[in-house]
Amino acid sequence: MKRAIALILMLAMVMALSLSGTAYAANKVTLTIFNSKMEIQSQMEEMAEEYMDTHKNVEVEVYYSSDTVAAHMSTKYASKDPYVLAMVDAKDIFSLGPDHALDQTGEPWVAETTQAISVDGKVLGFPFCVEARGILYNADAIEKIIGEAFDPAAYKTTAEFSALCDKLVAGGMEGPTGLQKEDWSLGAHFMQEVYEMHDDPDAFIAGIKDGSVKLAEDNVFNALMDTFDVLKANNWMKAAPLSAVREDTEMNLAQGKIAFKFGGNWDWSDIKDFDPAENMGMMPVPSDLEGYNEKLVGGGSKYFFIDNSVSEEQQAAAKEFLNWLVFEEDGQNFLVNTCALVPAFGNITLPVSDPLGASVKQYVDAGAMIADYRYAPDDHYAKVGISFQKYLADQIDRAGLADEITAYWATAEVGAH
Amino acid sequence: MFAGPGTVLFLAVVIVPFVYGLYLTFTSWDGVSLSKPFVGLQNFADAFKDTTYWQAMGRTVIYSIFAVILINIVAFLLAYLLTSGVKGQNFFRAGFFVPNLIGGIVLGYVWQFVFNRAFVAIGKALGNAAAVSLLSTPNGAMFCLILVSVWQYAGYMMLIYVAGFMSVSNDVKEAAMIDGCTPSQAMWNVTVPLMRSSFVQCIFLSITRCFVVYDVNLSLTKGEPFGSSVMAAMHVYNQAFTYKNYGLGQAEAVILFLVCAVVGVTQVMVGKKGEVEA
Repeated sequence: MKRAIALILMLAMVMALSLSGTAYAANKVTLTIFNSKMEIQSQMEEMAEEYMDTHKNVEVEVYYSSDTVAAHMSTKYASKDPYVLAMVDAKDIFSLGPDHALDQTGEPWVAETTQAISVDGKVLGFPFCVEARGILYNADAIEKIIGEAFDPAAYKTTAEFSALCDKLVAGGMEGPTGLQKEDWSLGAHFMQEVYEMHDDPDAFIAGIKDGSVKLAEDNVFNALMDTFDVLKANNWMKAAPLSAVREDTEMNLAQGKIAFKFGGNWDWSDIKDFDPAENMGMMPVPSDLEGYNEKLVGGGSKYFFIDNSVSEEQQAAAKEFLNWLVFEEDGQNFLVNTCALVPAFGNITLPVSDPLGASVKQYVDAGAMIADYRYAPDDHYAKVGISFQKYLADQIDRAGLADEITAYWATAEVGAH
Repeated sequence: MFAGPGTVLFLAVVIVPFVYGLYLTFTSWDGVSLSKPFVGLQNFADAFKDTTYWQAMGRTVIYSIFAVILINIVAFLLAYLLTSGVKGQNFFRAGFFVPNLIGGIVLGYVWQFVFNRAFVAIGKALGNAAAVSLLSTPNGAMFCLILVSVWQYAGYMMLIYVAGFMSVSNDVKEAAMIDGCTPSQAMWNVTVPLMRSSFVQCIFLSITRCFVVYDVNLSLTKGEPFGSSVMAAMHVYNQAFTYKNYGLGQAEAVILFLVCAVVGVTQVMVGKKGEVEA
């Protein structure tokens, strides 16, 4: 008797579980979306609500993780619980795509962009936006002190930029620059400029690996580190650079307490909440590298891929969603106005609404963009970032930094491409 | 029969994943690809050569020693105070227990705010213009981790000590006093030996928790500054998921588990040996 009751109870539980699963699926297609842009999470959630109003058969669930993208995706794939649609970085398309991404060749959106990622002839990555790195500036704050119109093009070299910082300090701005302490900002963004400003980044990295390039003597590395030193010396958080909070730096920039910040147009989504000055923008990282100091670094950023193991209905819903972003008025409006992104699609003609994005678009239109390097290994940002943090906190000098990065590359391998 | 569902669940959520995890230590899986190449014991060999792992392990041991000692001292003193008949002791017991109810992640963020903002603001207000956050130096970050752990676990361990105090009957204490013991002698020679099992439990719980600390580590310091506060568990996570060496990370996790188990079991065996009853 007891045995029978226990069996019945177990059966009932199992049935209840499977029933609830199928009943749900019969009505609606669940479209799980992983968002890896923290700054647009609330916009994504609102968009999901509105999207469900017009697409009654789809249940959209938006997720975010504070973990790094590659790490979060590994946990999801290790537990065999993938998202239908996942927003990842370009390098993740190369590492995850061949095994897990659905081939989207022939989708209508493919024809409208130059930034899609293809691996082995299959279109796997949908470019969510164009992003670029550089120095963010607050022109109003600068003009107030120097008393003349601020023209970024007049401060192309390290010496010119340094002199401007000195002028700002003399004018009462205590620390005119802002540097983030995050490993991705230092390791993935600043250090990668060193690779990107070589004509052939792969050859340069191969040179570091086999010892034919001495990083400490490399002129690009030294030129950019000279600029980094200027940023570091004028950092408003100079006393404790490793406790700089990103939002504080952005707020100070928005309100003109500082004039510059190393970052990118993605910072706008925070800055816009801090009652920003009217005239802000982005300029190239100043340096003595002629030609390179007139360009921003960037390209397509944040890629969507559709998982190839989910049901066909889910894949279809994901495809429909991506085309909605590109071709429907609501979708375009979401990208350009709600999220303040620079779209990667030629058919979207809405004017870019934020000043940083407008700067980026200006450089893109002028062809003044250096392509970002996408094949750094997964641990590059973390390990090189740690070395950079040590440099920022004066634990090691430039030679020490070069040694640590060289040591890192001794065992690291660039991603397949 | 009634153990059936429990056994099935235990198998499904503990034993099977554990065995599968052991299997993964013999592969060079990266965590995402579909193939899992078999590499034998290579991961364990690599784990022993991974100096950052052993640094993290050493750091964890130091952290655990300080944290375990402090947690238990604070918990014992709190329990002593709150069983000696202080007014409103039930309220205080609840109050000291509350930190344990807040999840480690939230706790870490709350304290990060306290260290980064509140303390710095107080320092500046007191005239030290160069006041910086404790979290920005390696030793400071370690200190913060220990402090927060003590704050988190002391209340929990206190409850066990309170139960220990209450289990010692007043008869034996009175008998000791009549025999001429001072209150402190009665405390050290009668009450403490009788509640030895509480000590064994508390130390075991605090050791095992400190060894695998992750949540507070993540939200309070995130391993910063420059990787100087990465504990063993965080290193394992990074190795497996961030650096995409799943097999190696899993092997390091197994080593961490073994170290933790050996330390914990030894401590319990030694502690149990000397247990006495009234």
